[in-house]
Amino acid sequence: MLDPRIIPCLLVHNKGLVKTVKFKDSKYIGDPINAVKIFNEKEVDELIVIDIDATVENREPDYKMIENLANECRMPLCYGGGIKTVSQAQRILSLGVEKIAISSAVFDNPELIKEISSQVGNQSVVIIFDVKKKLFGGYEVYTHNAKNKIKSDLIELVEKVQELGAGEIIINSIDNDGMMKGYDLDLINKIKKKTSVPMTMLGGAGKLEDISQVIEKFGIIGCAAGSLFVFKGKYKAVLINYPNIKDKQKLF
Amino acid sequence: MIGIIDYGMGNIKAFSNIYKSLNVSHKVVKVEEHLKDVEKIILPGVGAFDHAMRQLNRSGFLDALNDLVLNQKKPVLGVCVGMQMMANCSEEGVLNGLGWVDATVNKFNKEELNNKPLPHMGWNSVDCTIDNQLFKDISTNSRFYFLHSYYFNPENKDSSIALTGYGNKFTCAVNRGNIFGVQFHPEKSHHNGVQLLKNFSNLQC
Amino acid sequence: MNRICTNCVMDTTDIKITFDDKGVCDHCNTFYSDIKPNWHTDEKGWSEISRIAEKIKKEGKGKEFDCIIGVSGGIDSSYLVYLAKEKLGLRPLVFHVDAGWNSQQAVHNIERIVDKLDLDLYTEVIDWEEMKDLQLSFFKSGVSHIDTPQDHAFFATMYKFASEYNVKYILTGGNYSTECIRNPLDWMYYQSDDRQLKDIQKTFGTVKLNNFPTTNILWHKFYLPYVRKIQLIRPLDFMPYHKEEATQFLVDHLDYQRYAQKHFESRFTRFYEGYWLPTKFGFDTRKVQYSSLILTGQMTREEALEKLKIPAFDKEMIKHDFEYIATKLGISVDELQGYLDAPNKKYTDYKNQMWLYNFGAKVMRVLGVEKGGKR
Repeated sequence: MLDPRIIPCLLVHNKGLVKTVKFKDSKYIGDPINAVKIFNEKEVDELIVIDIDATVENREPDYKMIENLANECRMPLCYGGGIKTVSQAQRILSLGVEKIAISSAVFDNPELIKEISSQVGNQSVVIIFDVKKKLFGGYEVYTHNAKNKIKSDLIELVEKVQELGAGEIIINSIDNDGMMKGYDLDLINKIKKKTSVPMTMLGGAGKLEDISQVIEKFGIIGCAAGSLFVFKGKYKAVLINYPNIKDKQKLF
Repeated sequence: MIGIIDYGMGNIKAFSNIYKSLNVSHKVVKVEEHLKDVEKIILPGVGAFDHAMRQLNRSGFLDALNDLVLNQKKPVLGVCVGMQMMANCSEEGVLNGLGWVDATVNKFNKEELNNKPLPHMGWNSVDCTIDNQLFKDISTNSRFYFLHSYYFNPENKDSSIALTGYGNKFTCAVNRGNIFGVQFHPEKSHHNGVQLLKNFSNLQC
Repeated sequence: MNRICTNCVMDTTDIKITFDDKGVCDHCNTFYSDIKPNWHTDEKGWSEISRIAEKIKKEGKGKEFDCIIGVSGGIDSSYLVYLAKEKLGLRPLVFHVDAGWNSQQAVHNIERIVDKLDLDLYTEVIDWEEMKDLQLSFFKSGVSHIDTPQDHAFFATMYKFASEYNVKYILTGGNYSTECIRNPLDWMYYQSDDRQLKDIQKTFGTVKLNNFPTTNILWHKFYLPYVRKIQLIRPLDFMPYHKEEATQFLVDHLDYQRYAQKHFESRFTRFYEGYWLPTKFGFDTRKVQYSSLILTGQMTREEALEKLKIPAFDKEMIKHDFEYIATKLGISVDELQGYLDAPNKKYTDYKNQMWLYNFGAKVMRVLGVEKGGKR
């Protein structure tokens, strides 16, 4: 039977790892290479690494860093941040990365999804939507670290990117980011119904029970988390952690 | 000497890193000359079937590769699309496969999947149906990482050596003589994958 | 030919070593004359640490925690946490400094300690870009004490935290049982000498140390304890501490993962003590560690000599470590090799406060405050 995927998500800012709350107030977590190495030794299911500066700074991805991180992974690695062209995507995949994630580029150039997936296969193309609740119900999509609002409807976008060749969709809840109070189950429900490709939820996990709750409700799904796997305890002490095989089995 | 075929598809570095850590001599094969002293072959692959076949056909060393595998009987391990390429053809595309194993590649049946997402993505258990050197020291029902939307369907069920369940059970590993194939990604399956790749390097064929 | 002490396994790779007419080295003799007579692990020791613990508890009443314990994930500090909570009834804050080199075992072990003993954890993460630059400076300097950045950061951070939050008691896992013999200064110079650290960074560094925590000997050895009344306590010195028993206890009861050797909770320290020091300088810190265990009856000299026959490092592992260290430091393997092959330097080749340490040590000994020590 296919297991649900439990995925640590790391954010890179100024060459170092950070953790945010509602996409703000970044707290320094440390060196990306050592963190990835520890996650690898803990045999995590997959790993997501997002460079949160690349798009905003309008610069190329840090290929050297990506290569160094990929070298440490004996599990699939998904990289996102600053990818705008097919050749960038191909170059990153050739460095040993399994999946590339695009976010803002989708809105500048939706055809990019088709172009990339026709070259590398749709299984390697992940679309991330950073999502915030609207005041009077519903959700809106943002880019550029929650600074730019996108005018299209979230559900329509979810359907469109799948038609264009997306292999996975990650929904990142801005409201729940770093809050550690649980996932937005309504949001998952809304999106899961509209996805025929694998879906991953990110934002809000504060304890392992939050993950088991999502798995119980939704079955085959990816549960990604940042704070949960880098913080420990009430002082949010930085400590890389991940459930061992026994504890993971208990979650599903 | 293990030759990891680089025809533009697949995570070459991941295989290379693992064999480096195991201290097994290996090289990346980009041109025909590189095949000279290769005793075992890894054929990786990700992406679409036709695209992969096109790349391999253009590589300039397909004939030499065929010779090594079919005539010289050097052990070869096809991984994911690399395994699918060893079939006759695929429902995903129109080009012919390598035909090393009498098989087709089929799309997962949506009804049998019962709303499960595609691609088949994540860790699933591999049930060995027969003892095989490739799975030495790997307990049955071990988990490996899968990422694909089509599956390998051998004509001769004897060549199927392991099954995985997604919707129905499908063949996730094959072996016919010197030819091996796995649908999952041993290069991304932590210690189980490392063990399998180690077993492949130790094969007596 | 190396001359080895007839009592322990220290030898003439410590160039300042001296032997008496029985062939016993000065490390051993200092232990017998200065440390052992004043080191009590019986009821006397227990009642003393209990008294201190009561004081800590009393002063900590009503506060979130009554002391901080510096942990690295290693056995000494991990066992100390267990003792402090379960045997001495203290309410410690578990304090960890992440210098970017944690091994998976270290992180796992800290998590186990915190979870199983139901304690709070505080972590300070050192700015990696600055740490990296400082470590590279130490490599470039050619000195033997290249683990100073980690050690210095660890203590500086703890002292700063204690000072800022007015925490009166810092507990550490330092102990005579496994450390009664110290690394000779020529092997590992004082990591707390900030003058040396700053001079090396000034000479070889490429970035300014804005966030890197520094301390200095006057501040934490005199100002903090005597003016601010912030004390450093080593509880493991007040009771019998048997390394192997402690390790097995942690494995059995706290789901602890063993390390191959002391200090291997840090990937860098493993590389440094296991490979760099022996290869570049001929200093094998296992001699110091085993000699301490010999003096405290936890290892025989024969066992130690046998173990020392095996190289300190595994060839394959070192090859990977070498690459990993180079990658993490942002340099090529060749550049790192270049530092390995470069001429060896001493702490005296750079600015230092050795005169202050010598003076301070004299004062401490006259006052009867400290026993034995480094030379």
